[in-house]
Amino acid sequence: MADLKVKICGVELKNPVIAASGTFGFGREFNEVYDISAIGGISTKGMTLLPRLGNPVPRIAEGYGVILNAVGLQNPGVEHFISNDLKFLKDKGVTVIANVAGNTLEDYGKICAKLDGLVDFVELNISCPNVKAGGMAFGIKPESIKAVTSVAKDSLKSTPLMVKLSPNVESIVLNAQAAQSGGADCISLVNTFTGMVVDIERRKPLIANNTGGVSGAGIKPIAVRMVYEAAHAVNIPVIGMGGIMTGEDAIEFMMCGAGAVQVGTANFADVNAMPRIIEEMNNWLDGHGIKDINEIVDTVKLN
Amino acid sequence: MKDLLATVKSNVSIAENIYAITLTLTGPLKNISGGQFVNLSVGEGAMLLRRPLGICKIDGNDLTLCYQVKGKGTKKLTEAKAGDKLKVLLPLGNGFDLNEFNNIAVIGGGVGIFPLIAAIRAYKDKNFYSYIGFRNKAAVCLLEEFEKSKLLTVTTDDGSYGDKGNAVSAYFSDKNRPEADVIIACGPPVMLKVLKEELEKRNFNTPCYVSLEERMGCGIGACLVCTCKKSDGDNARVCKDGPVFNIKNINL
Repeated sequence: MADLKVKICGVELKNPVIAASGTFGFGREFNEVYDISAIGGISTKGMTLLPRLGNPVPRIAEGYGVILNAVGLQNPGVEHFISNDLKFLKDKGVTVIANVAGNTLEDYGKICAKLDGLVDFVELNISCPNVKAGGMAFGIKPESIKAVTSVAKDSLKSTPLMVKLSPNVESIVLNAQAAQSGGADCISLVNTFTGMVVDIERRKPLIANNTGGVSGAGIKPIAVRMVYEAAHAVNIPVIGMGGIMTGEDAIEFMMCGAGAVQVGTANFADVNAMPRIIEEMNNWLDGHGIKDINEIVDTVKLN
Repeated sequence: MKDLLATVKSNVSIAENIYAITLTLTGPLKNISGGQFVNLSVGEGAMLLRRPLGICKIDGNDLTLCYQVKGKGTKKLTEAKAGDKLKVLLPLGNGFDLNEFNNIAVIGGGVGIFPLIAAIRAYKDKNFYSYIGFRNKAAVCLLEEFEKSKLLTVTTDDGSYGDKGNAVSAYFSDKNRPEADVIIACGPPVMLKVLKEELEKRNFNTPCYVSLEERMGCGIGACLVCTCKKSDGDNARVCKDGPVFNIKNINL
């Protein structure tokens, strides 16, 4: 049994496998299948200051080895989370990462202030559409990433800030550096890739929102490349994600510089994906005589 | 709920484009109500999403699901052969709770009949009055499952089998319609919409429960992909709060 504990920004996780935002709710449903205290952490469903109803259905579609979703940030609002779900997660002993989104810079400041000191991390979701930044999402350009990061950071006195980066960008390196210079304590990537799937019989997109975020096994090589590039462009911890389906996939991200990983789509294909991935990581480490997961982090040497 | 590795016992066409797949599980299925569903893996790797399919029949360790071939996933599922292993997450959703009712009107359209069959099978001592509709004769299947009904009316859109028309109009136009304590229904969205309109128009006080279908992600209520609109303006999760809803409480 290898030691799977990792430390991100001074916070110890019992293992590096975190549920990715939007695929795991607030943990209650998966806890009916297995005891979620087995996993390293949970990034909550993306929350806003006020409840949101989200997009029309269908909200999901499939491609080869990938899925697309456009839920549209349906959530009960941050206050509901604080009064109804936070204690449940704390009692479970999992690291709690509050994923938050806003329409304006002020929204990000306010929601971070509400969560400061209550959760283990705040994760900024800055790739949601319909935000005020010259019609561009906050997460596309380095200038707006830096601006929203510093507003969030100013509102967080004691909780570390994780900034989740979008892959739909010109330079993941410049954006990772922008998050760092805005005051991010760590970054997570990649969010989903914007995509579209068409029903050729109806000649219409399958998703009501027309486009959706692409995730799953098929995006993994792109995500691995971006995590490697970002991890080597900043000196803050990086949490890697994008198509992790197995323990070996998670190890690949960690070897590329990720200190921990998030697992999303795999939870849909296999409801027990996360405990399985943790077990597979342990088996791989044992099989290679590695006693501590941290020994493999950032060990890939380019050709 | 559990994710089980099931063995395919048979997988056969029972009507045009409709298949019945029977899976053998390692133990008997307990505490499953008619109207609950499963999330079935159809091709790991290429197809990451499972297919939510209503439970149709349970016989000991055998579970039968019926499905219409609609897209790549269900097409792939037709290739499953006896002896193949498929992962199945079950039981999911709430199902029909008919304990307090004795006289039950059943309105089913097309593939919507399958969860209704499970409800009929789950309550052996109740009186069922069934009105079921199909597109045409080629789509008619599993009529034997409705034979224990006190009354059975079968319709087809084109009149090629049974009465010409649909299940909803057959129910409301039946002059000898028995008094029902409850109506249970499942079928295409347009059928359920018309049913709701007819109930409202006629000021029916009979409670009516419908089973909904939606594209799903996790199937257990976590991902908020399969929402439907409630009459109070809020969202409900088809997979976890449903798939069976009181027709009064949802917008169709």
